[in-house]
Amino acid sequence: MNQSNKTIKNLAGLFSQVQAQPITKKLVVAAAHDEHILDAVFMAWEQNIIEPILVGNKKIITEITKEKNYSLKNVEIIDVKDKTEAAIEAVKIINRGEGDILIKGNVDSSIFLRPVLNREYGLRVGETLSHLGIIELPHYHKIFALTDGALNIAPDLDLKRIILKNSIHFMRKLGIPKPKIAALGALELVHPKMQATIDAALLSKMAQRGQIKDCIIEGPLSFDNAISKKSAELKGLNSEVAGEADILLAPNIEAANVLYKSIVYFAGANPACIILGASVPIILTSRSDSEKIKLNSITLAASVNLR
Amino acid sequence: MKKISDIEKKRPTQPVRLAVVAIEDDNIFEAIANILPKNIIEIILIGHEKKITAIAKEKNLDFSKVKIINEEDDHQAGIKAVELVNSGEVQIIMNGQETYHGASVIGRAVIDKKKGIRKGKIISHLSLFELKDYHKLIGITDTVMNNMPNLKAKVAITNNAVLLFRILGIPKPKVAALGAVEVVNESMPATMHAALLSKMAQRGQIKNCTIEGPLAFDNAISQKHAIHKGIISDICGDPDIILAPDMETAGILYQSFVFFAQAKVASIAMGASVPIVLTSKIDSPETRVNSLLLAASIYG
Repeated sequence: MNQSNKTIKNLAGLFSQVQAQPITKKLVVAAAHDEHILDAVFMAWEQNIIEPILVGNKKIITEITKEKNYSLKNVEIIDVKDKTEAAIEAVKIINRGEGDILIKGNVDSSIFLRPVLNREYGLRVGETLSHLGIIELPHYHKIFALTDGALNIAPDLDLKRIILKNSIHFMRKLGIPKPKIAALGALELVHPKMQATIDAALLSKMAQRGQIKDCIIEGPLSFDNAISKKSAELKGLNSEVAGEADILLAPNIEAANVLYKSIVYFAGANPACIILGASVPIILTSRSDSEKIKLNSITLAASVNLR
Repeated sequence: MKKISDIEKKRPTQPVRLAVVAIEDDNIFEAIANILPKNIIEIILIGHEKKITAIAKEKNLDFSKVKIINEEDDHQAGIKAVELVNSGEVQIIMNGQETYHGASVIGRAVIDKKKGIRKGKIISHLSLFELKDYHKLIGITDTVMNNMPNLKAKVAITNNAVLLFRILGIPKPKVAALGAVEVVNESMPATMHAALLSKMAQRGQIKNCTIEGPLAFDNAISQKHAIHKGIISDICGDPDIILAPDMETAGILYQSFVFFAQAKVASIAMGASVPIVLTSKIDSPETRVNSLLLAASIYG
């Protein structure tokens, strides 16, 4: 097998294959009775990216679609009024193999994720769930991933290893067999009082020693060293990851979240986000996400086979 | 350098002065008698003058060139030695009693906050070995001074060792940071320290050396074993310095080299304003002389 990483320049390049897939993926919407989520789901359906299965309050769903002029012809609706029940039912549908992607509708994230983690019918296959955003920016020569800005708050070394394992698995599915990972810190030096720099240095060694497979990890790197080779060279860093990072591992949820949002709000990016660590891609969009982000997230989920 | 005897080649242009603190030990008298004719070191003995003269006479040693300062209190003798360092009169100090008491007498005077010669730095001990199955001299640190060094202390210990090797003519020594295994294991702090030290050398936070770690002992000294474990590093099989995870490990390694591998050895403590020679009962008279020559070579 060719182990060289292909350069995916933009999301369009990543998504170009989706419509050509022989079988359209089934997107299961947990608590679908929500205008925003239905907008995204119907847009994706119109573009033949997915086929929806709507789990939620049928009466409200019908009202919204009528008002919006969305056709419910050929749409499977499972009438579950209670949000918690809808989340459970959506997971069970996936568990039975009847759905391919899970997306959160009008339900709190914690309620949405609880059945995902259920031991009996849940979907978790990895050691933890983690969040990953795939970002395209005009200032960077390829798409890159950022993790974890949503689920793991203050991961310790072992949890960071697991988050990376999820991310590496996913990037490999995208056609990047040996992703280059920048483990971020506030600076590129080992500082005993900055745990992030300690963790980053250790992760870098663990990859060297084969304790984390199928990747190259450099760290600690500050953000500029990770994405700019020039900046790294000015600091005397000689690393094949510097300026070439495929995955940015943030030290904690705040750093990842603020970085993600600054990229969205100040750099105008429309990332595609996904939750990893389950048997199928899970999408957890927030209301504030643009239509484009929601659509990109659905498309990203539809473009990989995790199983 | 390949042999312990090579150390003597790096001799100072002028003889350097050694102060021996609270001397009473027979073994050390012999070491002094052996080193005097080499004309590399001049000796000042600080201790009980009458006892010293009596022992020298009994052993039939020629101490005519040895200066003796009478100080019957051991701790005062330690303080006096440090004063001589501060006034520039001596360039090496050594314990005169090969006991815990002897080491502590000198240690206390050295680390004294006001008059001491530590200047806030960490003092660490390095033993340099000639082993018949290794292609060059190899240093092990820290064999005596720092019991359970943390990361910061290990940085200082490494810096001390690197400085010594640079003085001995190796501009960029290779350091193997040891663990029990070569992988990062969160329940083994030594492996985490070693990984961090390796990164710190890469980042230039520890200068003038390269560091690989964590390495198990076999990976450190055999490139074949390292490659077998998938470790590609030019330090494996060729380290100049072995940084032990703690003092027990370093001490046991030291003794196994001496007892099982019949290693030749020279040791000094670095980090104070002058080299300190701390000899112990297990050292042969030859080792004591080697250690003094190593200390003198710093001025060569």
